[in-house]
Amino acid sequence: MNHQLLHIFRNSSLGRETLLQSIYFSKQTKVSPVIYIPKSNKFLMYFENDVVQIDLDNSYLMFPDTALEHATELLEQAGVEPRFLDPKHYTASTLPDIHTNFDYMSCPRSIVDLSSKIGLGYIGPRVRRIVKSAQFPVLITSPVYKKWESIAVFFGGSVNAFNALKLGFRICRISGMPLDVFTLLENKSQESYEKLIKEENLETEMSHYVNNWHFLKNRTLEENLYDVPHNALVVLGAYGHHLLKDIVFGSKMEKIQSTISNNLLIVGPNYTAAI
Amino acid sequence: MRIFQSWRFPANWTIFRLDDRLLLILVAIIVGSCSGLASVVLNRSLMLMFDWFHHLRHYWWIFVLPAIGAALSSLFLEKIVKEGAGHGVPEVIYSVSRYGGLLRFRSSFSRLISSALTIGSGGSAGPEAPVVISGAAIGSNIAKYFSLNDRQRVTLVGCGAAGAISSIFNAPIAGMVFAIEVIIGEWKSVNIVPIAIASVAGTEISRILQGNQIPFSHRLFNISHMDILACVGLAVLTAVASILLTRLLRSMDKIAKKLPAPLWIRAAIGGCAVGLIGLFLPEVLGKGYHVVQTTIEGAFSQGLVIVGVATIAKIVATALTLGWGGSGGIFAPCLVIGCLAGLTYHHGLALLWPSVTWVNQGCFALLGMAGLISGMLQAPLTGIFLIVEITGGYEVILPLIIVSAITTSLCHYIEPAAYYMKELVDYGHLLRPGTDARVLSDLNVSELVEKDCIAVTQNMLLRDFINIVKKSHRNYFPVENEETGHFMGIIHLDDIRQYLFNPVMYDTVFLGQIMNTKVEVIDPDDDLADVIRKMDANRLFSMPVVVNNRFIGLISKGHLLDQYRRELMVQTSQSI
Repeated sequence: MNHQLLHIFRNSSLGRETLLQSIYFSKQTKVSPVIYIPKSNKFLMYFENDVVQIDLDNSYLMFPDTALEHATELLEQAGVEPRFLDPKHYTASTLPDIHTNFDYMSCPRSIVDLSSKIGLGYIGPRVRRIVKSAQFPVLITSPVYKKWESIAVFFGGSVNAFNALKLGFRICRISGMPLDVFTLLENKSQESYEKLIKEENLETEMSHYVNNWHFLKNRTLEENLYDVPHNALVVLGAYGHHLLKDIVFGSKMEKIQSTISNNLLIVGPNYTAAI
Repeated sequence: MRIFQSWRFPANWTIFRLDDRLLLILVAIIVGSCSGLASVVLNRSLMLMFDWFHHLRHYWWIFVLPAIGAALSSLFLEKIVKEGAGHGVPEVIYSVSRYGGLLRFRSSFSRLISSALTIGSGGSAGPEAPVVISGAAIGSNIAKYFSLNDRQRVTLVGCGAAGAISSIFNAPIAGMVFAIEVIIGEWKSVNIVPIAIASVAGTEISRILQGNQIPFSHRLFNISHMDILACVGLAVLTAVASILLTRLLRSMDKIAKKLPAPLWIRAAIGGCAVGLIGLFLPEVLGKGYHVVQTTIEGAFSQGLVIVGVATIAKIVATALTLGWGGSGGIFAPCLVIGCLAGLTYHHGLALLWPSVTWVNQGCFALLGMAGLISGMLQAPLTGIFLIVEITGGYEVILPLIIVSAITTSLCHYIEPAAYYMKELVDYGHLLRPGTDARVLSDLNVSELVEKDCIAVTQNMLLRDFINIVKKSHRNYFPVENEETGHFMGIIHLDDIRQYLFNPVMYDTVFLGQIMNTKVEVIDPDDDLADVIRKMDANRLFSMPVVVNNRFIGLISKGHLLDQYRRELMVQTSQSI
């Protein structure tokens, strides 16, 4: 199969870290990274029921003469064949269309605003739109290249959480890395979550792939997050159960993204996972 | 809480689930009304700006006003809403052709503001194209809200365009015809009914808020046979004016792009040049509808030379405004240029044949307007209905048809693509439903790949291969490297035919010796049109799809034809 990860290359030290992270993810999950080196400061992504304009900050257009060379060098050093995306269609002369038939997309926390807004607690509006509209999961990389050696799935019982769990199984199967599941016990009991898994016929997969299922009992989510390994790829659904679930990210998701600096693989509502 | 949740998912409302056509008609009313409202807002803004700046017109420095307006307009589009310059109609047609009418929400207001700045300050452009993209974007985003499918969304984009044109001209039929003829390009009842409803809604909004006024009222014309005969000459003149305007717009755009300056400076230069022309010929400034009204009433008293110069000046001013980065459309300039061209022609006729009693100059002005619209848009029906409706004069219908038809034909002969479509045609983006290009663009290589091929290796003996052939129903077999799995070539059954009846060869021939290594391969990202071109050029029936040196599958013409027919049926069916 030819699975692909879209990476928008930024020819800066920050961009290098992000690309290294994408390359590592691609190698572990056996997908081909496809690199887009932007030539204008905006492009469009046409999803099934939405069109998102990505307005890149100027750092994406820095040093265009060396961008290709730098990206190729990093890919070749990692033993990955360089593949670059050349837009074929343009909505306007300076507005290329980037197709959306990818299996993953890699983003820093913000691809629109100033590069200074890459710290914890902030995910840019365009990244949120992509997560909401895309039929693929979005890899939000940690600011500095960091290898992940295990997988941590946050499971809260929502539809997105099930998709995240299945994606976790899939990555575990392909990469062979250990998988842990984390569930925050709020008002529900441990048995109720186990029942949900049973109802979805995922018991076999749970026993086959999952190393440990952690039921977090501390009062606040922040306290519980200390248990998440620092070198784990965190897989989670973007939206939970709440009333505004298709407008704003879930509260757990917001807390997780603002507390831990791990690489995050976020599953949106339009993604359908297959194990 | 339940009420809020149901509000978030209007597509689930029982009323909308009764019937898809009913849903589309109800949503069309909303879209038509919203786009009609957008037109009224722009119209009112322009009137307000005209009032603000009118008392400044006698100052010598006023020529900088269009420059300031164009620069602000360009800055707004580039820095604030981050959209490209221009009127946006090609963007709407592109989105309808390629992406099921998906348009950005920001397009529903961006061009309204930018064109108000350009036209309100005196730039030679019209408000119609900006309201078309606004209406279309409103339709697209409402379709998104109701979670409608691509075909329904495209219809609503047409509804938005129709509502906008209907509202701004108080001309429902012209709005409807424009949306179908120019934007959607598909005359089907599934489109026509909602678009007609949206046109009515847009017109009603305009009538409620601005009154039921015909934009250019006129007196009755007594048209003789000589006048009808003279229309042929007028059609030639309007065709020449259309071609001149089209080419000047493009060359100005090219010249402006060569200037190493930011967009807003270029727009300011164009605006300044228009302002300077406007010092001597104020008729070229803004929408210029007062010129049209005066001419139709027969009160435009200037002679042949002045009118001829004004025609050319308006063409140049429009090219300077739009070509150098101002924001606005070509409808209004076309009406003014057509009107002046008609007047010039009338003066010319009166000079050459003073003894003949020609119809009033206003009639030729109307015909000139229809000619320019038809020539620029290459949409004769839009030209005819627009002029009939905005002048309320059905008696000119015969010469209108003649002028529109001849001008369209002449322009099509010289410039095969209309002004709005030129770039789309050049880049192969004009994909009308049911055409070969559109069907192919809606299919992609990945969905056509047949993966039930049996891969063989280069070190396999012919005997083993024959056993594999017995089990397979395919004629092509990819050859892969045993160790790396890399694609090395392909074997067709014809390649082994000569060995088949000679059993001695079964244990002596290796597949590596007979495989075809000079194979053209396809990437899953390739355009299907290019793939078919390759197949035709090389007389191939199948081609391998290879990624990263790995064989993915085969594309065959037989499977392609099956999918092609299926897609064609979807595109040409009457269902929504």
